[in-house]
Amino acid sequence: MLRYNFRLAFENFRRTPQLYALVAFTLALGIGLLSANLALVHTMTSDPIPHKSDKLFHVSMNTWPNEDPHEQPFYILSYRDADHILNADMVKNTAVIYASGGYIRDLQSTEASRINVQIRAASDGFFNLTDAPFAYGQAYQGNSGYEVVIGDSANKRVFGGGNSVGKTLELNGANYTVVGVLKPWYLRPLFYHATEQAAFNNTDDLFVPLETAIDENLPIYARSSSTDSWQQISDTRTKNVYYLQAWVEVENQQQKKEFQNYLDAYSQNLKDNGEHPNKIINQLDDVNAWLAHLNIVDSKVYAFALVSFLFLTVCVFNASSLLLSRQHSALFEHGLRRAIGASRMHLLQQGLVESCVLGVISAIMGLLLAWCFLQLSVTFLPQLQNLAVLDYEILILSFILAIVVTNLSCLYSLIRTNKQSISAELK
Amino acid sequence: MLSMNNISRIYQSDTIKTHALRDFSLDVKQGEFVAVTGPSGSGKSTFLNIAGLLDPFDQGEYQLDGVNIQGLNDNQLSRLRNEKIGFIFQSYNLIPDYTIFDNVDMPLRYRGFSSKERKYRIEQALEKVGLAARANYLPSQLSGGQQQRVAIARALAGEPKILLADEPTGNLDSLMARQVMEILHQLNQEGATIIMVTHDPDQARAVNRNIQIIDGEISDFGVYAPQQNIATAASVEVDNATV
Ligand SMILES: Nc1ncnc2c1ncn2[C@@H]1O[C@H](COP(=O)(O)OP(=O)(O)O)[C@@H](O)[C@H]1O
Ligand SMILES: [Mg+2]
Repeated sequence: MLRYNFRLAFENFRRTPQLYALVAFTLALGIGLLSANLALVHTMTSDPIPHKSDKLFHVSMNTWPNEDPHEQPFYILSYRDADHILNADMVKNTAVIYASGGYIRDLQSTEASRINVQIRAASDGFFNLTDAPFAYGQAYQGNSGYEVVIGDSANKRVFGGGNSVGKTLELNGANYTVVGVLKPWYLRPLFYHATEQAAFNNTDDLFVPLETAIDENLPIYARSSSTDSWQQISDTRTKNVYYLQAWVEVENQQQKKEFQNYLDAYSQNLKDNGEHPNKIINQLDDVNAWLAHLNIVDSKVYAFALVSFLFLTVCVFNASSLLLSRQHSALFEHGLRRAIGASRMHLLQQGLVESCVLGVISAIMGLLLAWCFLQLSVTFLPQLQNLAVLDYEILILSFILAIVVTNLSCLYSLIRTNKQSISAELK
Repeated sequence: MLSMNNISRIYQSDTIKTHALRDFSLDVKQGEFVAVTGPSGSGKSTFLNIAGLLDPFDQGEYQLDGVNIQGLNDNQLSRLRNEKIGFIFQSYNLIPDYTIFDNVDMPLRYRGFSSKERKYRIEQALEKVGLAARANYLPSQLSGGQQQRVAIARALAGEPKILLADEPTGNLDSLMARQVMEILHQLNQEGATIIMVTHDPDQARAVNRNIQIIDGEISDFGVYAPQQNIATAASVEVDNATV
């Protein structure tokens, strides 16, 4: 029976191919647009590190030295405070980082050309904390060696890919040995640096030990604030310059509590010594709380998603009325099949098979269109590059959506046909 | 085989009530060939549609092959239609873009037969109406008479208990009508029970029972026609047509 129903569905498509193509295209357009928008929302709102996002905490502190007491903690930290965090031994991992950039080249290469890379100055705990995926080698040990970890695309651009562990690269006149090469690494959102509109940037190209980066004067490519004037990055070790971000990974609530106490005691101590006048507020936000706090999802994206949902409903109504145009022949065939012994159930199944087949066709067309829409939006808005991703969850969701929506479109004519008395169209 | 008791059917529109059938009672025995006549609008089709389980009725009792129709659900009614009834319409009602084979196949599809069984039955049925060689034609490639014979094959394929025909020759010229009638008589000789609505008095005379419906009721005139030899009746008819 199922095979017969499939055959009848294709017979029907063959009878009025333009009509069905139009219906499928109408639905595909709505599905495609909504899927593309859902893909954006999905990437924006997804948990970048679901297996431990509740164990990673961003640290904000309230140690700004000023006459007027600060009421809000600050998400960037001074070297002094960050160093204190690095020394906390009750947590599993700590990461202190800042964003930087520069031009690097393969020391062995005869070519003089350099490649612009996005650099992350990072303490060595960063890699375990973020579960950075290594293709070759491992993380550097300690924070002051001349060893680096290179990202997949930079490795390809500088060394032509492959296992580059042991190779040397040059940055600002200093030589660094590659100790680790990462696999392609997608973090959406880029939780470890979600501030300053960077939440949907790529993961970094090159990771340099924190102290080395400071010694080598690698520039700060992120927000910094200071009460003192300074020249070299190394000046920041002793001055009130706020630019570092810190993350800790705890194993349980107990550790988090201990760490909180550790920070609070430290802040209190600073305050007692007259370093700052502020209330003791040390804020620990886990990954999702932190991303929510930063409001990284552009509300325009929600608005577009809503509009595309409305557009889809319009498409459903259109498809539905298009399908009514073959109502007359449908009524005749319905009556005839009933007269020769098909039950309502038989014909309902036949209708469902037809609309599911049509749904699959619409789904495939819709996903192709969604892909096109995303490509198009990246062309016009390059900042969407990392967001315009149709991952399998969206693929499955869109597929189901297409089937449901197509069935909805077919429902009206199915119901109308089913209400008809058997003999009405039979002479 | 078929037994109706005080069947009523009322069509209710906004303004008027039409008694299409009133207190309609009829018994048809196995193997009978019944011709139903009557003026247009008298309720012949209504009767046949109720008999064929295509339409519901408002009052009365209907037993088909020993099964009381009352209270059966859609599945059960559909199954009865499929297994016990073969319907033949005035305008053939073939699906124009299906082959003859696929048209005859339609009722068998709802029966759960294997494809081998279906093929056998379709070939047998087409054989009976003399169209075995045309299985792969489309309806439009056949004459009206041939199309009606395909419709008969479709009605026969499921080996129903009773054939119901609503003016089966109404759209045919006399030659083609005669061929169709020959087939019906042949089937009746082989034991089929047939109820046929017709306007043609010759056709009515040629069968073994006539009833006349007037204004939704069987008229007093609707009594058993004199028993005839069916074979002669058929040949008489052929003679008439040739004259
Ligand atoms: N679907 C319907 N709605 C309203 N009235 C109908 C309907 N079908 C038939 N009738 C009426 O019922 C009566 C009997 O019709 P019908 O059985 O078709 O007559 P016949 O077949 O003898 O010409 C007629 O008056 C007709 O107008
Ligand atoms: Mg009629």
